[in-house]
Amino acid sequence: MAEPVTQQIILCSTCQGDPRASLTCKACGGSGLGLPSADGLLTWGAVVDDFALAFRKIKLRINVFFHLTLIVLSLLTLAAFVWRLMRLDNLADVSTLRFWSAGYPEVTFFWFGLFLDCFIIFRLVEYTRDVKLLPNWGKNKAQRTVYEAGAAERSKHRFNVSLFFTDDAWQTVGNAYRLAKDLHLGEVTVTHLFAAAISSNTGAIFMTRLGLPFDKIKDPLAQMCHTATSGPPPIPLSRDVKRALILAYADARREHRKYVSTIEIFLQAFRNEPKLQELLDSLGFPPDHVVHVAEWIRLQDKLREDQERFVTLAMLKPATVMNRAMTARQTPLLDRFSEDLTLAARNGYLQPLIGRSQEMEELLRAIESGRRSVVLVGEPGVGKSAIIEGLARRMVEEDIPPQLFDRRLVSINLPQLISAGDPGLAAERLFAILNEVALSGNIILILHGIESLSGGSSHGPLDLAESLSTELDKGYFLAIGTTTPHAYTQYVERRSLGAKLTRVNIDEMGRDDAIRVLMAKSGSIEFQNKAFFSFAAIEKAVTLSARYLHERSLPDKALDVIREASVLARKQRGERTFVTADDVAAIVHEKSRIPVEAVSSDESAKLLNLESELHKRVIGQDAAVVAVAQAMRRARAELREGKRPIANFLFLGPTGVGKTELSKSLAAVYFGSETAMARVDMSEYQDASSIHRMIGAPGDQRGGLVTEAVRQNPFTILLLDEIEKAHPEILNLFLQVMDDGRLTDGVGRTIDFTNVVLIATSNAGTQFIQDEVRKGTPMEQVKTTLMEQELKGIFRPEFLNRFDAIIVFKPLTQDDVSQIAWLMVNKIGERLAEKGMKFRAEDAAVEQLATLGFDPLFGARPLRRVIQDRVDNQLADLILRKAVQRRDTIVLQADLSLLVEPAPPLS
Amino acid sequence: MNNRVGAVAHLLFIDLLGSIAWFPVWWYTKGLSLIASNAIAALTYRSQSYSFRIWIRNFFVPMYGQFDIWGRIISVLMRFVVLVGRSIAITVEAVIYALGIVLWALAPPLTFLLGSQSGVLGAILTP
Repeated sequence: MAEPVTQQIILCSTCQGDPRASLTCKACGGSGLGLPSADGLLTWGAVVDDFALAFRKIKLRINVFFHLTLIVLSLLTLAAFVWRLMRLDNLADVSTLRFWSAGYPEVTFFWFGLFLDCFIIFRLVEYTRDVKLLPNWGKNKAQRTVYEAGAAERSKHRFNVSLFFTDDAWQTVGNAYRLAKDLHLGEVTVTHLFAAAISSNTGAIFMTRLGLPFDKIKDPLAQMCHTATSGPPPIPLSRDVKRALILAYADARREHRKYVSTIEIFLQAFRNEPKLQELLDSLGFPPDHVVHVAEWIRLQDKLREDQERFVTLAMLKPATVMNRAMTARQTPLLDRFSEDLTLAARNGYLQPLIGRSQEMEELLRAIESGRRSVVLVGEPGVGKSAIIEGLARRMVEEDIPPQLFDRRLVSINLPQLISAGDPGLAAERLFAILNEVALSGNIILILHGIESLSGGSSHGPLDLAESLSTELDKGYFLAIGTTTPHAYTQYVERRSLGAKLTRVNIDEMGRDDAIRVLMAKSGSIEFQNKAFFSFAAIEKAVTLSARYLHERSLPDKALDVIREASVLARKQRGERTFVTADDVAAIVHEKSRIPVEAVSSDESAKLLNLESELHKRVIGQDAAVVAVAQAMRRARAELREGKRPIANFLFLGPTGVGKTELSKSLAAVYFGSETAMARVDMSEYQDASSIHRMIGAPGDQRGGLVTEAVRQNPFTILLLDEIEKAHPEILNLFLQVMDDGRLTDGVGRTIDFTNVVLIATSNAGTQFIQDEVRKGTPMEQVKTTLMEQELKGIFRPEFLNRFDAIIVFKPLTQDDVSQIAWLMVNKIGERLAEKGMKFRAEDAAVEQLATLGFDPLFGARPLRRVIQDRVDNQLADLILRKAVQRRDTIVLQADLSLLVEPAPPLS
Repeated sequence: MNNRVGAVAHLLFIDLLGSIAWFPVWWYTKGLSLIASNAIAALTYRSQSYSFRIWIRNFFVPMYGQFDIWGRIISVLMRFVVLVGRSIAITVEAVIYALGIVLWALAPPLTFLLGSQSGVLGAILTP
């Protein structure tokens, strides 16, 4: 929640702020309480009752009537004068003294009419608006300091904040009073004030932005409104209401608003009534969401005010390449390869910069510190261009250091410049351009992607960085470059160009700042796509893109998401629709392939029955199945730690007991397909050098096998088969993956593993497990001994510690193998069904297969071979000999021979 | 009740009738300062658009990047002429604004006097 106002409210020593007692209290004049401030002791000095509210309205009407009467009178005098003019024989008589001194009544009216006009001007300036401007509105820093200096003197006086409330805000206070009156209550409470605020026009905008339908809050709020004690008139404002109204004034003043409006009343009512916070929270709107939405509404007002100021200042800026001192000269070549950002800003094409004040100060400081050029270093999407555009706007407003005064910000199109292909021509062009810039003397160069001058682009070997560096050295002009941290290290830092540039780091934006940027930019997207954003959509776009989209940075990636979500919403539901959090989630799902939407009822059923689903393919191994199912449920209910993979499992056990099968069935059941799994055979990574195959060789843009698989498909199962065979160096790599959920590939990209289910399988300790199971040792004991003794020599303890669960798969029993035999035989049936044939196996036949395929050492593997030899081979013969037709039934008999039952002829 | 009487009295005697008495005082205090500050703001904006400070600071800097001797000489002359021209322009504007302020100050008594004079003459001359 945004900062609450902590100043102490002072109660009147006579009436103690009691609402009823204060009505007649002479000491405080009815205000009851006050808040010390630089303006004086803030009090609510207005009476709110039927008479006061009606009188306020009547007063406004009387004023309007009075002014209209005066204007009509003035017009009548003018009309009389014109009538006199029309009656003149010769209009030239007007210029004679005779005309003016003839004592015509119309001339008398004319002069008195002018006098009346003076009075009308006075009335209109002084009496039209019944609201006072906040004391610090429109004051600059110096004026504010002078004002603040008189705070001590003013503190002795009461300061009536009610004079600064807009008509709309007064309407809200009046409605709160009427609500309490209609309910026959003894006083107006904060809840009434809140209810009145959300019923206003501002409240309607607020509720829409919040995504809260009025019907949803109506009943519980009405109930809360009834809870105040009833009592006879007069109905005073409660102590808390007065406090909220005073704080609304303090809030508006702090935010440099012109007046106190309904949004401030709304905010303070909400902040000062915990029950209202609880109510909205129970409806799914936490307090910080509510405060953010209020900020959103105020931000849009503020942007509008800023834009008005900007337009006035922009008129002073020249609309051509010439500066105001006229010292510049024409730059024809530069103009061909560049865009004038100050001109674009002047003409209103660049949007204001939101946040980033620290970075902007750093940039300006670097420029101010001397003849130093600057490079902005930040990941794609952090807002380097936005900072430069913000600088262009500040140059238009001339709110900048002297070094930038009366200059142009010109962005060179580097790809166009170097796309000639011929390095000689590109260098020649650059020199000519830099020469023009130096001679012109009023240009600050912008070089987006400065690394492309050092060959860090796709345009082949080209090195113009030295040329630029030499020119910068002469100090005839300043340049601001942008680049990514990786490109800076690789192409700029150690070059002479790097030494000439002051580095300013642009880090990724925090969540709250990114939300603010989205709020500020949402207006133009809404206008473009004719769809409106709810706060939940904005907030979700930032949260989800921060968590699931790692290729770019905030706020750019979140802006992309809301842009696409608005198009999606418009296409699905037509124009003037609302973009919801679900639309945003759908876009993020599409981009990341990670299910981020709220859990649907289908999915919820699937998750709750995951064990039985997995058991359809995996026989036995209950502990393993339960562990995997629980991990998936935790992940989907967002209960897991966000910075680790969904789960890290180590499956231990003999071969053929279902370790890989469980992974495959999880992929099939939950991830949609058996192939939705990155399977890595760790026996292929037995030497240390194979690490490059896994994460990519340094500088190789293709990346590594594992990192690329996860980058392309971050929501997946990463199956590390036979992990004990991998080189220890490679296992160290996975320590970080299991702990932090990320891995840096050869190119320097950080790959996100937080949506991966990491399953490592191992046959280590197989002999021990089989021996112990044969002896009948309980599985818990087998596992403990295995961890403490058997695995010690194979895996390092810190590696084993990183697993969420180490699951020991039991060797299969004869019974398990029988069930597996049934599964396999059923699969044969499914394959034959595709060919239009039916298949049936006798129980004894399956039992026979299970007996033949059972081997405690190799689990279910021999069974597959037995079925292949005894059943599949015979089937192949039958099909090739055409001994079986479509619709026929093949029966597997007890002696494992096949019998074909021909289908009855079609009648 | 006192508040109600006070409010009605305020409306009648201060807001409506009182404004007639308040009018001349306002005209020569708040009103005059308002008109003067508006005139000053308009002149400041205009002087900013004329870029006097920038032109004086760059008086000897050649225009259009012509750094040769003739470029410099012509530039200084040109700057001088332009500065004189703009100074005249802003002076004229300042005079117009000043006249406006004087007119503001004279308007109520002048119109009232002329109106009264015309009224009196009308009464005398009309048979």
